[in-house]
Amino acid sequence: MTDIYTAVVDIAHAPLNPASALDFVSDPRFGGIATFIGRVRQHNHGRVVTGITYDLFDPLALRIFQDIGERARAEVGGPLKLYIAHAKGSLRIGDFAVVIAAATAHRDEAFRACRLAIEAVKHEAPIWKQEHYVDGDSAWSEGCSLCEEHREAELAAAQQPGHTRGHGH
Amino acid sequence: MKVRVTLFGALRDADPRGFVEMDVPDHCTIATLREALQSHVRHHASSISENLIKRSAFASEDEILHNHRHVPEHGQVAVLPPVSGG
Repeated sequence: MTDIYTAVVDIAHAPLNPASALDFVSDPRFGGIATFIGRVRQHNHGRVVTGITYDLFDPLALRIFQDIGERARAEVGGPLKLYIAHAKGSLRIGDFAVVIAAATAHRDEAFRACRLAIEAVKHEAPIWKQEHYVDGDSAWSEGCSLCEEHREAELAAAQQPGHTRGHGH
Repeated sequence: MKVRVTLFGALRDADPRGFVEMDVPDHCTIATLREALQSHVRHHASSISENLIKRSAFASEDEILHNHRHVPEHGQVAVLPPVSGG
């Protein structure tokens, strides 16, 4: 489907490029474009972060990005162009980690499609984040289980009042 | 049959090659493979918690393979610890 662009970008070769996302989704049919850009930030849970390594299972990630695009199209219920790209490899503070752009006729559908896509990428795609800290330590983020039994329990727990872990990432 | 399980994220620490190979019964389920991987990790990579294997999913290049599914005949699967993209 040419209206959905998906990519895993090894940043050893090239950085993510938000301008490419805007170029892809731009279309005379569409008056609304919503974008989400995720960048590497300097602090997490009170620790000073110096960089992040992203590990991906590329073929399945691309398949799931495409599925997410189809779901966004169903959510919108009309014409949509969607761009989903995620970085792979070693990133420094400020580097682009993920770029989403959604274009539709009007703003409401664009915002909804963009939000659906980034939330699904974070919670469903086979991507793993390892943070590197200023003290030389490194840690893999806890993340969301894709295993069906655990997934249901964790999603239910995340919806409880006072829940502070799991889906805050 | 021999199965090659490709490792990702925190599970890469289980083997520096990025995969483990195990013998499992022909046509076995993912649930059986999960038990075999837990046993393998217990003996060969004790720094990996069993809970991490329990919370991990298995997958082919095309889809998540839940516990009731059979291990693909080509003997290649990936084990996916909890995900943290974005």
